[in-house]
Amino acid sequence: MVPTIMQKRSNLTEKERLLKVLKGEAVDRPPVICPGGMMNASVTEVLKDIEENHNIDLDAMTAAAKAVREITGFENYGVPFDMTVESEPLGAKIDLGDKFIEPRVTEYNNKSIEDIIQNYKVNPRDSHRMGITIQAVEKLKNDEIPVIGNITGHISTATSIIDPLYALKMLRKDPDKIYRFFQFIHDYSKEYAVEMIRAGADIIAISDPTATGEILGAKNFERFAIPFYKDMIATIHQFHVPVIIHICGNANTIIDSLNDTGVDAVSFDSMVNMRFAKSKLTTRLMGNVNTQLLHTGEQGKIESITKNCMDSGVDIVSPACGLSMATSVKNLRAMTEFVKRGI
Amino acid sequence: MNKETILKEIRESLVEMEEEKVVELCEKTLELNIPAYETITEGLIPGMDEVSRLYEEEEYFLPEVLVCSDVMNAGLDIVKPHLDKSSMQEPIKVVMGVVEGDTHDIGKNLVRIMMEASGMEVHDLGRDVPLERFIEKAEEVNADLIGMSTLMTTTMDGMKTVIDRLSERNIRNKYKILVGGGPISQNFADRIGADLYTKDASEAVRRVKEIFGRA
Ligand code: B12
Repeated sequence: MVPTIMQKRSNLTEKERLLKVLKGEAVDRPPVICPGGMMNASVTEVLKDIEENHNIDLDAMTAAAKAVREITGFENYGVPFDMTVESEPLGAKIDLGDKFIEPRVTEYNNKSIEDIIQNYKVNPRDSHRMGITIQAVEKLKNDEIPVIGNITGHISTATSIIDPLYALKMLRKDPDKIYRFFQFIHDYSKEYAVEMIRAGADIIAISDPTATGEILGAKNFERFAIPFYKDMIATIHQFHVPVIIHICGNANTIIDSLNDTGVDAVSFDSMVNMRFAKSKLTTRLMGNVNTQLLHTGEQGKIESITKNCMDSGVDIVSPACGLSMATSVKNLRAMTEFVKRGI
Repeated sequence: MNKETILKEIRESLVEMEEEKVVELCEKTLELNIPAYETITEGLIPGMDEVSRLYEEEEYFLPEVLVCSDVMNAGLDIVKPHLDKSSMQEPIKVVMGVVEGDTHDIGKNLVRIMMEASGMEVHDLGRDVPLERFIEKAEEVNADLIGMSTLMTTTMDGMKTVIDRLSERNIRNKYKILVGGGPISQNFADRIGADLYTKDASEAVRRVKEIFGRA
């Protein structure tokens, strides 16, 4: 077999490269990944040969994770493909999506926070899609390709279970009560993360879109988000597994507080200037190819934005946030192939 | 306490999120025979305007805006029953929702809250709204304006579908169409034939009042 250019330059597996980067070690080029969860590449075009619903069926979920890597060129497996897995067992009604639309909450649980805390007990392994996702991780586990287990942050899960406006108001009106609710969600989410690690996840990625600095403000972010992230990350680190955290929106006001969380890499949205982020952060940086561009842009522009990202010093190249399911494979490949070709 | 002081205190207490105080002050306006209309237009609404200014300047964030809007509603509940209907214009009637396929509704709700705060009558269809619903509801309540929101590029074309269907049925001109949300731009609004695009909630209120000559 004629060796490809890549094989000549390096014999790192995708897993070694990504894990080394997360430890801060030097590698030949940045990995290009799409972790899964909120930021997943199981777009309509990738799913065309998968029969069952990839959000519910174990085999379809595993097949979709593999198809994403094979078809788009992202260098990882990642499950699940949405962010309602954690809110489903708490009485939120979910439409489980299809090949065109992501799963989404159709009705919130309208019971009181106390009622929910008292009446629901979540055991991730037995909880519908958390259980399926854990099994999918088990099936995807392998030596060469990194498997990423994705979890939704406590604030996004809380605001998927109960009405977001009500929850946000509580931050002011009854901070202790909403804090208890966050704690309750955080506790079982932590068990879920640990179960994914036991099943073989190499990395855990957390995203918490409702917890942006823009929505909460820096003070609330520090009070209601950071302590839980810290605890989650410390727990995961006990298993020697690295953590990536994704922050949506303009993160300028909260960027400093991320240094204290112990996280291994932070992923930012496209409006964040990565050079600025780099100057502020001691962690690795992931990002941030604009998702609207990936959906509607031209290949040349995608390549030049990908190049910008690399030039600004990101350690891991990835989409800036959640992708539209209508994003084309061609556009995603423009990005992944550009990175693999090297600078 | 004179009228000016009390209205000023209503504005300030609203901005400070002091619900009980606003309720108390609104009750006092009734005792002092201050017309409910003035309490609303010179106390509660300007208070909420100040809140949206603070939000734009990133002094306040969503939790604060939401609490203030509750305070305003608590005040409204006190004075509204005493409104002299003749002093009121017919409110601008709005049908509003997040288009099918999208469940992001925080922004839409903020727009609704600001519209209600400025006296518009908003029929909120919620999120993930089947496109036909916008038309049905607008026809049913005889709306002046249809407002559509989406934060996703995947679903933004739904807005065009609604406008096209209105045109097909020759009822496009019965309504003004307002669109907004992250991926929406003036350019997109022009392309699909919407009447108005604004980038945020407070601008939406200003511009809507303008096009209906209520500024
Ligand atoms: C919070 C959030 C969520 C929350 C939503 C909670 C809720 N109930 O609304 C949760 C966690 C549930 C969520 C879920 C998802 N999200 Co999300 N989310 C966000 C985020 C970070 C912020 C949105 C927000 O609320 N901002 C605060 C409000 C106040 O601002 P706003 O909505 O922009 O509204 C203002 C203006 O736009 C305007 N406006 C809004 N509507 C209207 C309407 C009119 C008429 C007018 C005039 C003005 C107007 O006025 C508002 C106030 O001034 C955005 C990223 C971003 N920065 O926008 C992603 C984002 C919207 N999400 C995204 C994605 C991909 C998803 C998911 C699909 C993830 C997944 N893989 O499952 C799911 C959605 C499932 C579905 N199909 O619905 C993508 C969409 C990409 C795309 N497809 O185009 C975004 C853009 C992130 C990205 N990629 O950059 N998300």
